[in-house]
Amino acid sequence: MHRFGLLASFAFALVTPSLLALTPDQIARLPAPAARSVDFAQDIKPILEASCLQCHGRGRDKGGFNLDDRTNLLMGGDWGDAVQPGSSAESHLIALVAGFDQERVMPQKGTRLTADQISLLRAWIDQGAVWDPAITFARPPPDNLEAVRPELNGGKPDDHPVDRLLAPYFAEHRFRAPRVVGDRVFARRVWLDLIGLLPPPAELDAFLDDDRPDKRRLLVRRLLADHGNYATHWLTFWNDLLRNDYQGTGFIDGGRKGITPWLYASLESNKPYHQFVRELVNPTPESEGFTKGVVWRGTVNASMVPAMQASQNVSQVFMGVNLKCASCHDSFIDDWSLADAYGLAGVYSDDVLELVECDKPTGETAAPRFIYPTLGTIDATATRPERIARLAEIVTGRQNGRLTRTLVNRFWQRFLGHGLVEPIDEMDKSAWSPEVLDWLAEDFADHGYDVKHLIETIMTSRAYQLPSQPETERSQGPSIFRGPTVRRMSAEQFTDALSTVSGVWNAKPSTRVVDNHWAGRNFSPIRAALVPASPLQVALGRPNRDQVVTLRGSIATTLEALELTNGAELSRRLGEGAALQVAAGDPSPAALLERLYRTALGRKPTAAEARIALPLLAPPLQPAAVEDLLWALVMLPEFQLIP
Amino acid sequence: MKSPSWSRRDFLKGASAATLSALAAGHARPLLGAQASAARRAATADTVIVLWMAGGMAGTETFDPKRYRPFEKGLPPDAFLSTFPSIDTHVDPIKFSAGLEKIAGVMDRGTLIRTYTAGDLGFILHSRHQFQWHTGYAPPQSVAAPHIGAIIARTLGPLNPAMPAFINIGQRFDTGESEELKAFTTAGFLGSEYGPFNVPFPHQAADTVRPPGGMTPGRFEDRNRFFKRLLEKSPVAQAGSDFQRESLLRSYENAHRLLGSPAAKAFDLSLEPLESIRRYVPDYEPGRVYDADRGRGASAALSGYEERTVGRFGLGCLLARRLTEQGARFIEVTTEYVPFLNWDTHENGHERLVAMKKQIDAPIAQLVRDLEERGLLDRTLIVLASEFSRDAIIEGKPDNRVKDQVTIPEKIEEPKHYGMHRHFTDAGCVLLFGGGAKRGHLHGLTADERPCKWIKDRVVIEDLHASIFHALGIAPDLAYEIERRPFYVTRDGLGRPILDLFGA
Repeated sequence: MHRFGLLASFAFALVTPSLLALTPDQIARLPAPAARSVDFAQDIKPILEASCLQCHGRGRDKGGFNLDDRTNLLMGGDWGDAVQPGSSAESHLIALVAGFDQERVMPQKGTRLTADQISLLRAWIDQGAVWDPAITFARPPPDNLEAVRPELNGGKPDDHPVDRLLAPYFAEHRFRAPRVVGDRVFARRVWLDLIGLLPPPAELDAFLDDDRPDKRRLLVRRLLADHGNYATHWLTFWNDLLRNDYQGTGFIDGGRKGITPWLYASLESNKPYHQFVRELVNPTPESEGFTKGVVWRGTVNASMVPAMQASQNVSQVFMGVNLKCASCHDSFIDDWSLADAYGLAGVYSDDVLELVECDKPTGETAAPRFIYPTLGTIDATATRPERIARLAEIVTGRQNGRLTRTLVNRFWQRFLGHGLVEPIDEMDKSAWSPEVLDWLAEDFADHGYDVKHLIETIMTSRAYQLPSQPETERSQGPSIFRGPTVRRMSAEQFTDALSTVSGVWNAKPSTRVVDNHWAGRNFSPIRAALVPASPLQVALGRPNRDQVVTLRGSIATTLEALELTNGAELSRRLGEGAALQVAAGDPSPAALLERLYRTALGRKPTAAEARIALPLLAPPLQPAAVEDLLWALVMLPEFQLIP
Repeated sequence: MKSPSWSRRDFLKGASAATLSALAAGHARPLLGAQASAARRAATADTVIVLWMAGGMAGTETFDPKRYRPFEKGLPPDAFLSTFPSIDTHVDPIKFSAGLEKIAGVMDRGTLIRTYTAGDLGFILHSRHQFQWHTGYAPPQSVAAPHIGAIIARTLGPLNPAMPAFINIGQRFDTGESEELKAFTTAGFLGSEYGPFNVPFPHQAADTVRPPGGMTPGRFEDRNRFFKRLLEKSPVAQAGSDFQRESLLRSYENAHRLLGSPAAKAFDLSLEPLESIRRYVPDYEPGRVYDADRGRGASAALSGYEERTVGRFGLGCLLARRLTEQGARFIEVTTEYVPFLNWDTHENGHERLVAMKKQIDAPIAQLVRDLEERGLLDRTLIVLASEFSRDAIIEGKPDNRVKDQVTIPEKIEEPKHYGMHRHFTDAGCVLLFGGGAKRGHLHGLTADERPCKWIKDRVVIEDLHASIFHALGIAPDLAYEIERRPFYVTRDGLGRPILDLFGA
């Protein structure tokens, strides 16, 4: 997919100084130095960033030359000096960018420098190659690796730790947090976020009437204790991450293996996260589908053999870093190298893996190792089972502060709209609030990697309970945290909500969910995550599980709207639902309307809404009228969005 | 507080959902390649129609006939290269295989490529080669690679804003290897906005843009008005603007607009005169169900599936014409891949091809003629292609043979063994009509004796895609960013348009 690997790599080392020296004639033809005072930040930095850093910055040193800072610049490369401060005509850098010799022109890839840019570079060197010491192109070391426990000293001592840690952040950004959302909004959020279902009206009423001061925490706990619905809801999240619950043949020849029974049982029993991950990294037959990967029949690209898939997927899902670039060539966007990707793949491979760069064997091999040696080392001479066991030990060990932070960040992103670290699969980057990320991660580990404890902790913070912040299409993305953002229901949440309102659930669970040894199990109701993806679910964004999916698209699409407007599945469900609702025999049109509003939206219709809707329900009650009302209700943004 | 009023908002003037999602986080951004500006040259096509001969169409039995020998008992399998005699086409040196007389009659409007060579993917699988043809990349990929239709939809957008930009006709997803079919019939990382609008059964196409089953247009409009009134009074609608809500409502408006637009009528084949339909499907009967039998199997004779599905491709071509008239951007019409059916001729090859040719000959020729008559052929590029070719003996390529999937007897005693039963990847046919392609032109040469491989002007998928993109004015090294990496619209940005295919 990338052609970076095809970069002709003329070795800088071959260029000897004598070959680089410009003749007087060439010097005369150089663009003259700019006749003004040059500012490094304004004039030079943009040139370096656009044309040089891809090979010579952020720690990279092609030809032994790196220009992360002035010291490195002055050290030159394998061929000798790069710049002679005060004398641009004698500086090799100028000779190279001038490009008199086609074979030795810099940059080697991309657009040549313009005469104006060369003039600026010359003037800068002539003026002493002054470099603002505050500017460095060095890449900061990866963040979020070691476990760190922040001091809880901000805010009020009685406050939730997350809010205490956010207090200085809010103060710094001059933001006065508003009151938390009302009970109705809170209830809708936690019901959908925790178990993926709409709050049933009676339970919602009971919650609203509850006057215990800690009723929100108690509600969260009560929902967390609904083990079956919790497991079904979170099955979707983990199926996406672990690319489980595919359909079809699995690329023939037993090329894939599902892990649904293991996964469901793990979620239902709230298996401690380190144990959960250990069983995925160092699997039993029940959980081996994840690292076994997809075995395609025929010849596949070297970067996609099963051991490389395991390398990419373990890194991305549990460590929050993307090794896909580095699976074909040293990454150009971060520091990952081919050897990192192959080193981790080597843990899973039966044979020594030869590094293949963009489908060309390099002749080199990579010793099996973990991508962050500071977190733990693997004995390359150990047997495959020993290596895998050791890998699981490193990934799930208490010293690994990345495992916990990655999950905390994924949950924060799910519940509040944006991650503490963004993008969520670039966990080497720093969080906008390292304190919150670190504290939640440590607290999670301290509590035995109890996932439900982590969820409860986030949901009982004021941060989670703040009113949602409207976004515009331009402001999409993290700016200053002021509260959660409005989120769209997932395909599964929407389909289940539709079932709740219409009363029409699925007939039977997928055979992949209920395999033979689960045959007697009673799933009731049979929710969207338990059935194969239908056209409606696909249109709403349920992915094919060929690749790991850590984030689904959040934008409503026209194809989805078409499916909601005249799709056969929605139409069938609404039709059947209308018949059920008519048969429910409500005493009056108003009672029916109120019941449907309470089920769908968690509130009664307003007088204005009732004035519009009641004429539709005038006796004799027509199923078609109820069907149209159901449709209108589920199409409302108030229904489809999580407030 | 000023409350934005839904009813007054003019959504038709607003940005389309496609524009909106292009701006939003999480959607692939275009990275312009070095050739992007060069591609701004005047495009020669606005619309592409891919006629997909799924299952492996043998070149030697269709558009590249070779030495013919009729069936006789005891024939060794290497005694024939074609099981049909050759026929003349409208272009003197170009011969077709018998059974394609009607397409032969429009060959003067097209360009024939005989040297398409499929990738070396090891054991030959329809799923993987179809994936490669449609995405330009060999599977598996670490990100979800988009179908060429989705790339075109994403890059050029709809031609008529009311018409889905990528329409996929004749493909079900509950046939064999279903998930693998879905793996390429997708917008992948580009986002589902650009994904296929699926019309599995053309005779039911109107249903896809009609009010849901059983609902009168009047009730449909009432329902819409009712929704808007409720929405207007919804307390949440009055609480200020939010991106998510607006994108939701805008997508809904787009959908509603399609359903109410003249474009929607293009989906309704019942509006087509009977004699016109019969030019596509000669034995068409109104009211007959052209669906597919759910059963599958490799029976020697035509299966129930094939009997019932005959006419489905023809109706698909007719639908493609109607959609092109209304400004469709990308359409694929497939004969549908079902293991051991249609072009997947593992046995009974000769007899099966008689039927397949009957299925495609009239509608393809008529599509070309109809578009020409309407002045649309010049701006519509028709591409007929298949994932690979077939041979009676060779599986794979002569110099890279792979494991055989069918047994070929030493002497052919029964007609069921007479045909091209193995997968051959070293030369296959692609036909182009319109959209700037040369008229009456032949590109590429294949050997006259087995192995009938390419010997001049080999064509590979990235160059074929680059050529399609060329006609549309899309640079082959245009890339979209996914997970901060560039994903080029042709493999690694290396595709080069075959300029010999285009021109007067």
